[in-house]
Amino acid sequence: MPAINKIVLDPLSDNNPITVQMLGICSALAVTAQLPTAFTMSIAVTLVLCASNTIISLLRNVIPPKIRMIVQMVVIASLVILVDQCLKAFAYEISKQLSVFVGLIITNCIVMGRAEAFAMANPPKESFLDGLGNGLGYSAILIIVAFVRELLGAGSLFGKQVLPDSYPGNGLMVIAPGAFVIIGLLIWLQRSITKKYEEA
Amino acid sequence: MQKDDIKTIRFALIICLICSMALAGVQGSLRGIQERNKQIDQQINVLKALSPDFAPDGSALSEDQIALWFIQGKVPKDKIPAYFENYVTEKEVNLPKGKTSTLYTLKKDDKVVSYAFPAEGKGLWSTVHSYVGLESDLATIRGITFFDHGETPGLGGECSKPWFQENFRGKKLWEDGEPLKFEIAKGKADPVTDHKVDGMSGATITGNGIQKFINKTFQAYDQAVFEEKRAL
Repeated sequence: MPAINKIVLDPLSDNNPITVQMLGICSALAVTAQLPTAFTMSIAVTLVLCASNTIISLLRNVIPPKIRMIVQMVVIASLVILVDQCLKAFAYEISKQLSVFVGLIITNCIVMGRAEAFAMANPPKESFLDGLGNGLGYSAILIIVAFVRELLGAGSLFGKQVLPDSYPGNGLMVIAPGAFVIIGLLIWLQRSITKKYEEA
Repeated sequence: MQKDDIKTIRFALIICLICSMALAGVQGSLRGIQERNKQIDQQINVLKALSPDFAPDGSALSEDQIALWFIQGKVPKDKIPAYFENYVTEKEVNLPKGKTSTLYTLKKDDKVVSYAFPAEGKGLWSTVHSYVGLESDLATIRGITFFDHGETPGLGGECSKPWFQENFRGKKLWEDGEPLKFEIAKGKADPVTDHKVDGMSGATITGNGIQKFINKTFQAYDQAVFEEKRAL
């Protein structure tokens, strides 16, 4: 059994879901043009991860092995719909901007991946913490990328203008390829610091 | 059938039952709030076209309020439905080619202040939706709002920004007895005329699309409704 702080802290850097496990890239490209959407998406994914990991871990001994993937999917899908409904009711503006990407958390590889790889084999408390750790790891990358993209793309942070009006805005940053470049640079930076990488 | 299979099926049924009941419960209890959000959102968009710098009760908005409405996009949401009910009337209208649409009229003391109609059409990637507001002369644009589109952020997506929408105010769609060809320039409108607005750089196709559907919808409305109203 891995130590508890390792479960939470590992996914933040050494085993980050985006930059190391390469999961959840598509949503990281789609919702990071501005900080508010990235922030909401981070919270949504973290909530879903914690809850799905906990529920699946509680059920892990009764889930029939033949249909375990389908059961995981049902649990995850229900949670995501729940989050989507709540956003539509209580954060309408942001849910409009996130549009389909909330629903697509269902197919976010991180959620299913952690359910199958961790929650099926570990007790609820550890599984919850694993979900929290991975959610925060995902959030950290999303927020860094969104920070850079909103700052360089629109000259603003959280919708507030911070760069002088004369700043023209970088068109690359507001479209998805800009996120590719930043995630690429992040991965490079991280690996050159941790020196952890597979030899080609 | 093996004992395992029965267990599996039983488990699947129970899980499905629990999940569907939970979701149905949540959906049922939140539906009211969600529909209200949608309605308010739509009413705000209509009001932005009908009444960009006056509160619907006819009083001028203060600078701060205009900043709230336009720059930050924040509107006192809880007050909108009541405003709407008191001052705006909706009417189904029949357009040529068997289409129907809704004409919104803002009235104060039984006098028409402005009209607004929905207009939509293709941009580059997506359908762009808008409301076009006209002064009571049925010729001058009073306000316009573009919302609900999937254009490229920073390029065609600029159409939902205040600077682009402000740009339309006071421009003419109709003059000397017939509809004008309204144009969205490529870049800055040059020469500056009353039927040409600044375009969005890097978004020619979005601009052309908007130009086309505004002209087309206005002409349809002109034929079906406005000509008659002007004659009165």
